[in-house]
Amino acid sequence: MEDRGLRIEEHRGGSPSAILHSPSLRRRGRLLEKTLFWLFRLATYFVLACATYIFLDIGIKGGRTVFTSKAPFINVPFLTEPPQTLYVFDFEGKKQTLSDRQFREWKVTHPGVSVEASSIAYSAGGIWPCIVGTALLVVGSMILALGIGVSSAIYLSEYSRNGRWIRLVRIAILNLAGVPSIVFGLFGFGLFVIFFGWNVSLIAGWFTLGLMVLPAIITASEESLRAVPQGLREGSLALGASKWQTIRKNVLPYAMPGILTSSILGIARVAGETAPIMFTAAYAMKDEMPWQVQRMTDFFFQGVMALPYHIYVVSSKIPQNEYTARVQYGSAFVFLFLVMLIALTSIVLRERSRSRLSW
Amino acid sequence: MEGVADPRILIPARSTSRRTQVVVEQGIKAFFGGNALVAVVVLALITIFLFREGFGFFGQNLANLRLYRQAGLEYVDIIRGVSMEHESLSRKLSEIRLREVRTMEKRNVPLEEINAKLAPFDQFASSFSDTAETLHSLVSDLTEKASALKEKLFAQAELLAQRSQLERAGAQAEAARIVVPEVDRTAALASLHQGAATYESVSADMTAKLYSLFAAAPPLPDPAAQKNFEQWKTRTREYLAALPAASEKLRTWSSEAEIPWYRSLSSFLFGREWITASFWQDWYGIIPLLVGSIMVSIVALVIAVPLGVSSAIYVSEIASRHEKRLIKPYIEFISAIPSVVLGFFGIAVVGQAVRAASQSHFFKWVSFFPISERLNIFTAGCLLALMAVPTIFTLSEDALRNVPRGFKEASYALGANRLQTIGRVLVPASLSGIVSAILLGLGRVIGETMVVLLCAGNRIAIPDFTQGLGAIFQPVHTMTGIIAQEMGEVVRGSTHYRALFMVGLVLFTITLGINYLAQKLVTRFRMSIG
Repeated sequence: MEDRGLRIEEHRGGSPSAILHSPSLRRRGRLLEKTLFWLFRLATYFVLACATYIFLDIGIKGGRTVFTSKAPFINVPFLTEPPQTLYVFDFEGKKQTLSDRQFREWKVTHPGVSVEASSIAYSAGGIWPCIVGTALLVVGSMILALGIGVSSAIYLSEYSRNGRWIRLVRIAILNLAGVPSIVFGLFGFGLFVIFFGWNVSLIAGWFTLGLMVLPAIITASEESLRAVPQGLREGSLALGASKWQTIRKNVLPYAMPGILTSSILGIARVAGETAPIMFTAAYAMKDEMPWQVQRMTDFFFQGVMALPYHIYVVSSKIPQNEYTARVQYGSAFVFLFLVMLIALTSIVLRERSRSRLSW
Repeated sequence: MEGVADPRILIPARSTSRRTQVVVEQGIKAFFGGNALVAVVVLALITIFLFREGFGFFGQNLANLRLYRQAGLEYVDIIRGVSMEHESLSRKLSEIRLREVRTMEKRNVPLEEINAKLAPFDQFASSFSDTAETLHSLVSDLTEKASALKEKLFAQAELLAQRSQLERAGAQAEAARIVVPEVDRTAALASLHQGAATYESVSADMTAKLYSLFAAAPPLPDPAAQKNFEQWKTRTREYLAALPAASEKLRTWSSEAEIPWYRSLSSFLFGREWITASFWQDWYGIIPLLVGSIMVSIVALVIAVPLGVSSAIYVSEIASRHEKRLIKPYIEFISAIPSVVLGFFGIAVVGQAVRAASQSHFFKWVSFFPISERLNIFTAGCLLALMAVPTIFTLSEDALRNVPRGFKEASYALGANRLQTIGRVLVPASLSGIVSAILLGLGRVIGETMVVLLCAGNRIAIPDFTQGLGAIFQPVHTMTGIIAQEMGEVVRGSTHYRALFMVGLVLFTITLGINYLAQKLVTRFRMSIG
């Protein structure tokens, strides 16, 4: 900083510019620079602080639900039970909070006692079916999206020449990336649920979510494929291998880590979205687990409970009070934890591959 | 070696295998190409399905509007408008009183004294609202008549549709068995038309009463309140002057006048009311939802743009390497927070905090505080800002980093300091990239569903802009929110269902437009830098 200022004076030494020679103005300029830089720094750390506050708030309040002070330190029933209705009532001067099942047992052990219980939906039990449903949705839609996405990326990076069709495909991919998720939901509802008659089902959710992340997967995969040096392809072709052999043996193996790493971020997006599954795949409440079906085909055509939809339901359909906070913060915590874990894996892997991979 | 080298065995075998190989290669290429086309197909299908489900809306809405006229609902609504205006004037009076009471309370005037001082004013207000008594009863009387007629017409239309369906299916006998009752529309409308005469006498009566009331209007102790009161008086005079116009409208109104086809479109695009499942008349006007979406996005961008751009400048130009390695992944990490979790956080924490802050002593000078709704535009905007910051940050940072090194070096060589280099060279050079980052952030914000559904308050109304900045503390509903909220409950194929698809289509068009603009800017930016 200091010697740069000196240099200015040397350069402009001949012309008596008042601005450059006045030390007070220069000091003011430096002060302005410093203040503005501090403002930029403040803005940056403000964003980080806001995010940290959210993580801490949900982490601490949700942690009270998910963790316990006794071994095994994790609230196993919350993670392994289905949601139940909570009953709150006064009995012999004490406030009782019982889940649906416990309340029925309690009635059996206290025959003849009639109590005025107020019921709060979803606030007892756990979130096991939601976790399972989300996992099913993520796995199915990612298989679909990876299959179509990687194939398209191979075509775009290995086979295509710049033509009118390819331009159209690229424009479509770019625009598809900007389509709001709720519009994907409407589209899935119109096409899969109504037109194909699949009703609210896993398979409709798979297709809706899969098509939604498709642009992200294609872009990421193409980038990884293009990062493989041209020489590897040329060497293989020169040895007489066919195009497909070259791709399979000499391009895909090197691009695969990159493709998978970037796809993990796609998983985070699929798992985190609520709007597309609201009317294509998610039920607010379902008693059977997904594998409790009569025929194999029913498995694909059943709706499931999903964690993001469950959070939406418990945060908007039931009141905010001391009895509901447990399940609200608990589910938000588990969900945030899972999604953030996925995102963190992706970011860490990518940072590592960036610094390591150099051809 | 020898065996392999025998050419007569090898060549024919190789040529067939090569032929199959070529076919296989072609097949593989076609397979990949087909997959690449999926993106185009999906985009086309989205457009097709939104149009397919949405376009029926216009026909159905036109029928809806025609029924509105034929059953005379429109006629009743002319008188209802007059009566509503009267009610709103009445409300204004009580607002004036409330303000007066507040100013007096600040001066520590005891409550009894306030009430005593305002007694003549209260007298005036109550006799003012009494003047509309007959008008209100006329409206409710006509409402009953018109909705009865509407129900009859509706039932008739339904039976007719059933019959024509059966006829088309070939079941003539069954079709003939459906008895469609005759609806005596002329008689019903004639009885409605008598309302005009009643209205004229009622309005003349009201005008006379009000003018005599004005003569005895009591003065108010506070000058500011007196000014408001005078404004109210001029508004009321205008209202009275407009009464004959309504009666003129009633006289010329005809149930047979044709409603032009474009009204269906214009009532959707410019309609200021979204009322569904009402006993009276359903309106599908997108304006309140559009305004809600835009307001929320503006608030979000006003917060997110300074934060996003300045953190991009900070990270790319000012931060040390260690800071950079920490901040960049962390901000990208923020973008992975699921929107439903943010929405929940808004309900549980931010909404409460905003309301608590508005009630605090510190903000007492703000005229529109304290606010009554904890879920409003501002709450949703704050959370959406957090979603937009990572997008704006990442893309702006990219744009700043892509400015050629020479630009920066040349600037330093000319003696500029770091701030001058950033402000005069780097930011202008990457401006189109930054603007496109902001546009993409806007696209993300306007299409976001869960946060606005949970935190924007979900009241379908255009915010009251007369309150100035206070408008951003009012609850609204948005385009994305209304689709998410109502789609699950509508009857498939109904007008309401199709209206929701139309909203989706508008949303789709807006986001495509934003996306297109952003892409245009990016390509230009690349070219300008070379």
